[in-house]
Amino acid sequence: MIEATDPVLVAKNLKKRYEDINAVNGISFEVRRGEIFGMLGPNGAGKTTTVEILEGMRDADSGEAYVNGINVKENPTAVKAIIGVQLQQNAFFDNLNLAEIVELYAQLYDSSVDPIEILSRVGLADRKGAMYKQLSGGQKQRLSIAVALVNDPVVLFLDEPTTGLDPQARRSLWALIQGIQKAGSTIVLTTHYMEEAEELCDRIAIVENGEIIALDTPDALIDQLLDSGFKPNKRTREATLDDVFLNLTGHELRD
Amino acid sequence: MKLYLALTVASMKMYFRNKQALFWALFFPLVIMLIFGVMNFDAYNSPNVGIVDRANNPASQGLIQALSGTDDQEVLSVSTGTQEEMLDELEYGDNKAMIIIPEDFGISGQFSELQVTYDERYQQERAVIGTVLTQVTDAVFKQMAQVPDEYRVEANIGISESFIEGQGQGFQGWLIPGIAAMAIMQTGLFAVVFTLVRFKAQGVLRRLKATPIGASHFLAGQLTNKAIVVILQTYILVLVGSLVLGVSVGQGRLGAWVDLTILSLLGGALFIAIGLAISGWAKSEETAAPVANIISLPMMFLSGVFFPLSVMPDWVISFAKYLPLTYLADGMRAVTVEGAAITTLGSELLGLGIWMAISFVIATRLFKWE
Repeated sequence: MIEATDPVLVAKNLKKRYEDINAVNGISFEVRRGEIFGMLGPNGAGKTTTVEILEGMRDADSGEAYVNGINVKENPTAVKAIIGVQLQQNAFFDNLNLAEIVELYAQLYDSSVDPIEILSRVGLADRKGAMYKQLSGGQKQRLSIAVALVNDPVVLFLDEPTTGLDPQARRSLWALIQGIQKAGSTIVLTTHYMEEAEELCDRIAIVENGEIIALDTPDALIDQLLDSGFKPNKRTREATLDDVFLNLTGHELRD
Repeated sequence: MKLYLALTVASMKMYFRNKQALFWALFFPLVIMLIFGVMNFDAYNSPNVGIVDRANNPASQGLIQALSGTDDQEVLSVSTGTQEEMLDELEYGDNKAMIIIPEDFGISGQFSELQVTYDERYQQERAVIGTVLTQVTDAVFKQMAQVPDEYRVEANIGISESFIEGQGQGFQGWLIPGIAAMAIMQTGLFAVVFTLVRFKAQGVLRRLKATPIGASHFLAGQLTNKAIVVILQTYILVLVGSLVLGVSVGQGRLGAWVDLTILSLLGGALFIAIGLAISGWAKSEETAAPVANIISLPMMFLSGVFFPLSVMPDWVISFAKYLPLTYLADGMRAVTVEGAAITTLGSELLGLGIWMAISFVIATRLFKWE
C-alpha cells in the first residue's frame, strides 16, 4: 500500500557505465510528493542519464529505482504509463496540428482528456490549429509539457525546459511550472541555470561526475556556503541584470 | 485495435497533408505516364514480328536473317518461337504479325507457302511487313535458285495472308502497369525512408519510446498508411491511364482489379521492407537519400518500366530479370494487359516472395530506433 507520505520516487545506488566513462556512479535520492526536485550539474555530469533510467528509457547497470512503488527495471511500461516526460530534444509530427498531436498522445496513454483543455492549461488553446513548426521556442516547450500532461502524471520529468529561451519566455514557463505544482503534481527538473533552480526548486541535488555531491534546499545550500566563510568576489546588489533587461523590455511574451 | 486505428488515421493525415509526398507518389508518375503514353514510341520502331520456323534449315535461317536486317539497320523486329507462343504474342503481346515458315521451305523445286497472320488493327504495320516480305522472299529465291538479277522468274515462294483482331495494348498497355509498379517502389522506398529517418533524427521516435505503447505500434500505423497509399496509387494510375490512353484493364476481367490489389500489396510490402532496412541503418536524410536512389534508379531503367527488357544486351537481361521491380512489373503487366489471373503468375510470385523474405530479414537486423 502506498501512503501519501511515501516518497513518490526512489533511486538507490544507480550505476551506468558507457564504454570507458562512469556516466552514473552510485546515485541515490528520494523525491517527495508535491515538490519540485531539481538536478543541477554541468553538461555531461550524468543528469540526463539518471533521469532516463528513472523514466524507464535506459536500463541501469546496477541499483534500483521505484516510481510510486513500481520497480522501473522490472516494469518500465507501468512506470511510463504514470509519468509525464519532456525530453531535452523534443520533436513532434510535421503535418498534425497541436490539438491532433495532443489527442494522438492521449490515445497512446489510453487517456480520454480533452486536448483543448490540456492546451489551455499551458496557454496554447488559441494555437490549437497551428502546426508544430509554426511555434516559437517557448511555445514548443509549452506543447511538450502539454503532451507530458495528457495522462495526469504522478511525476512530471522536465529536462532543461528553458534552455534557449529568452528571459520573458523563461519567466512565463516558470510560472507555468509553478502552476502545475500548485495543481498537485510532483516535478523532477534538470537544469544548468542556477537562478531557475533557486526560483523553482524545493530541493536540489548537485550532480558532478556521475555522483550527487550536495542535496538540500537552495536556501540551506547557500547558508552552508556562507557559514564556511565564503565571500562573494562581486558586490551583491538589490537587482540583477536580468531585472534590468525585463524592466526595459517588459514581461510580456513575444512568441 | 482502437489504438492501431487511431495511429493509422493520424499517419494518413500526416501523409496527405504532405504535398511533396503526394507529388512524388501520384502526380509525378501520372505525368510521366501520360507524356510517354501520348508520345507513342511504337511509331518509331520497326514492327514486331513473330516467326515460327518449321523448316529450320539454312534457307529458313537465311530468310529470318534477311527479315531481321543487320544490327545497324533493323528491318523487322523478329522473335521466334512455337506457333502457340507466337500466336499468344500476336493476340496479347506486342507483335503485329506472325509468319509460319513451312517444313518444305527451301527444298529445291518445291513450291512452298509462307502463312502470315496480321493483327488487323495495325494496317500501317501490315503494309510495311507485307512489302518487306515480298522483297525479301524474292531476293532469297533468286539467291537460292542462282538466278541472275537481270532475269525475272516467277518465284516459287507464295504468301498467304489472314487476319485476327489482337487484344494487345501496344506501348501504352506496356507503360501503364510498368509505371504503376515503379510508383509502388518509389512509395515503399522513399515515403518510408524519409518519414522514418526524419522522425528518428528529430527524436520523435525517442519521445514515443517514453510512452507505455512504445514506437512499434506507431511504426505499424505508418506502414499501414503506406500500404493504403500504394493501393490507391495503383488504382488511380491504372484507371486514369486506361481511360486517357485507351487501354482495357485485364481484358475487361473485373477480377483483374483484385489481382492488382494483391500484387500492389506484395510489391508494397517488399519495397517498404527495403525502405525500413535503409531507414533503420541511416542516421540522417543525407545518408538515406543516396542509398534509396542507388537502389531505385537502376531498377527504374532495368526492370522494363519504360521499355521491354528484350531491347537490352543479353548480359543486362541475365541479371535484370531477377530484380524485384522486374517481377512486380511483369506480374502487373500480365494481369493488366494479358488478362492473366494472379494464380498463373508462378515465377513472378516466387520472385517477389524471395525478395520479400530477404528484405524483411535485413530490415529486422538493421532497424534501430535511435
